[in-house]
Amino acid sequence: MSVRAVVLHANDNVATLMGDGKSGETCAYSGARQGEVNLRQDVPFGHKIALEGLAAGEDVRKYGQVVGRMTASAQAGEHVHVHNVESLRGRGDLVAKEGAK
Amino acid sequence: MNTFMGYRRPGDRAGIRNWVGVLSVMDNVNPVTRAIVTAVQGTLAITTLFVRGQYGRDAEIAYRTLAGLGSNPNIASVLVVGLETTSTEMIADRIRSSGKAVEIIVVQDVGGTVEAVAQGTRKALALVQKATMLQREPLPLSYLTIGVECGGSDATSGICSNPTIGEVADRIVEAGGRVVISETAEFLGAEHVFAERAVSDSVRQQFLKCVTDLEQEALRRGVDIRGTNPVPDNIRGGLTTIEEKSLGAIAKAGSTPLVGVLDYAEAPTTAGMHFMETPAPAVESMTGLAGGGIQMILFATGQGNTIGSAIAPTIKITGNYKTAERLKDNIDMRVDPILTDGVSIAEMGKRLLELTISVASGQFTVSEALGQREIAISRFEPTI
Repeated sequence: MSVRAVVLHANDNVATLMGDGKSGETCAYSGARQGEVNLRQDVPFGHKIALEGLAAGEDVRKYGQVVGRMTASAQAGEHVHVHNVESLRGRGDLVAKEGAK
Repeated sequence: MNTFMGYRRPGDRAGIRNWVGVLSVMDNVNPVTRAIVTAVQGTLAITTLFVRGQYGRDAEIAYRTLAGLGSNPNIASVLVVGLETTSTEMIADRIRSSGKAVEIIVVQDVGGTVEAVAQGTRKALALVQKATMLQREPLPLSYLTIGVECGGSDATSGICSNPTIGEVADRIVEAGGRVVISETAEFLGAEHVFAERAVSDSVRQQFLKCVTDLEQEALRRGVDIRGTNPVPDNIRGGLTTIEEKSLGAIAKAGSTPLVGVLDYAEAPTTAGMHFMETPAPAVESMTGLAGGGIQMILFATGQGNTIGSAIAPTIKITGNYKTAERLKDNIDMRVDPILTDGVSIAEMGKRLLELTISVASGQFTVSEALGQREIAISRFEPTI
């Protein structure tokens, strides 16, 4: 039982699932990078998984570009989304915090 | 295939539809406009909310967009409906400069709404009888100005539906036509990639300034846009950040150079691919595009955005196999075989180009046929 995922660019550290994936299932990814990884959680169609261990504060790369920053660490095969990634753009909240210091 | 069947318009332009527009100058006469449209077949209501009491940049945008919607080449002629003379004449005159016939109804002058509907019905009837004598003729694709849009995006948007639209965008530009991409916020995180395509330093700087100004405004107000963009259905569909969304979004502009930067509802004057500064939500951005003379819109949706433009027939495409099934009533073309069956983006792009030409030549899109159309002119200031 395996679910497919695509990797868009050789520098990417995430893959995007092409079907709904179940925890423990093998995910076979292809495209700019190829390989297999075991899913650590249920991950829905269209969502991302880490291709390797990612540290908190590390850049998330997709399309060969930075798409966000990890707010917590994640192991290979783990779900990477709004619960452990933050955007770096339009962050008026960070500016407001700086101003308040 | 390098021609479509279109309506010739003054000023060497072409329309892909032939509606008589009944246009409200302000929200206070929308009921009159709608009553006339109900009474006469072949008319299209062009209405928005507000306008009365707007000032500065908002007034400029409202009048430019109203005049632009009335001047859109899909509209054969226009009946302008207003409450008082000055604003009505002003909008009517601006539309007249496009070369088409414009009639007016001023509610205060004709003596109230009942009389306005009666006289407006007779005027709209005469306009429709004249407009329906016009015939389509074969015209080259260089007469097409296409808008590219995405809404309800998810992870499939950037991987297959936007790139498929990008293929058509490239073909249209190669044929001498125009393509316009908008939604300024959806370049945050991808603007450096897109800016590299600018034909000149001046265009590059103008474009980057639009994106920087928008982000600076959010920062200045202490707004964390993570609450607003991506929206809940984007997130449900796998898009985590605006950066990820933007990098997927730019694919719909294809690969040709960025030749110009347009203000909201400003018409492109040269061939090639342009950027128009608009808010991101679909109705507002499509209103800006239609106000700039765009004749049709290619619209990628992941999770299922069903609305179309009132004036520019909107083709809905999805690359999400679940959406293609669940929302099949509202999807014109599915491109998920790119992901599930290994169909190439180039091949899907060819099929979309065929559909584009067919819609340009008269085929109704589903949002057109189901009446899923709306207009909203963007505003940024308070009203006095």
